[in-house]
Amino acid sequence: MSSALSTPTMRAAEPRLAGSRPMVAPAEVEQTQTVLAPQGPWRVVVLNDPVNSMSYVVLVFRKVFGFAEPVARKHMLEVHEQGRSIVWSGLREQAELYAFALQQWHLTAILESDETN
Amino acid sequence: MKRIEVKLSLSVVAPLLDLIKASGDVLEAQIAAPLTLDDIDADFRDDWKSELLEGQHEEMQALLGLFNSDFFINGVVAFDEDNAEVIARACSALRLRLRRHDLKVLDDEQLESGGVELENLNEALQKPYMCYVFLGTIQELIIQHLDAAILRGPVEPAEPDFGNSSDDAHDNEDDDKDGNARG
Repeated sequence: MSSALSTPTMRAAEPRLAGSRPMVAPAEVEQTQTVLAPQGPWRVVVLNDPVNSMSYVVLVFRKVFGFAEPVARKHMLEVHEQGRSIVWSGLREQAELYAFALQQWHLTAILESDETN
Repeated sequence: MKRIEVKLSLSVVAPLLDLIKASGDVLEAQIAAPLTLDDIDADFRDDWKSELLEGQHEEMQALLGLFNSDFFINGVVAFDEDNAEVIARACSALRLRLRRHDLKVLDDEQLESGGVELENLNEALQKPYMCYVFLGTIQELIIQHLDAAILRGPVEPAEPDFGNSSDDAHDNEDDDKDGNARG
């Protein structure tokens, strides 16, 4: 899915004349620096809409996340009353899968970088 | 397999079908819910959208398939474990489309509270609003009666049954809850 890792490799090697013995120990130095792309944590946020019914939203939360009914209802009420609910947070790739699943059910789901963590 | 049959009034529902069909046609090329893909990798966006559209296409086919020639004879539509999920989604997509296009002059509060009087709407809004309510009713019926089937997911093909009686197989969901062993 999305790019996960960017791994630039810096290689510094001393030039050597053909056939000559190295004056010092092999000078090839390999340094690897790993840079993390915005991998996580990410939030899956569901926004309110005036169309989908409360019972439908509860059903979708139960189906997509496997929430127990009280948990699904709590998130639904957050969406309804506060306009949004963070329904999941974690690694980017899984967050994308959840957002996609919610959009398949026609909920307005977005991804947000969880900068507080 | 649990199944519900709903007898609809042909004289009420038949006139709504052209608008439902027209809205479904639009959804062949347009995502129903507002879509924010700003945080999605640009290379990935097109695939994301096309998969959503493919899903919508299947939903519309399933919903429109309910209103076949049999429906125009007996006025009955049937929902079961095979079509409950896809029809519930189709209703959602169509209601979003109706709200955003045909009913955009109505307030969110009016729609959410259900406080719209049909007689108070002008003629151009009456049919879209009736479609909106009709689809909401269908969806609610499915949620009330088939939510367990939706949560359980699609029915897997049955294992071959060698020699065992299949009189009561899969027709009583309470068997497992009561701890009764089968076979």
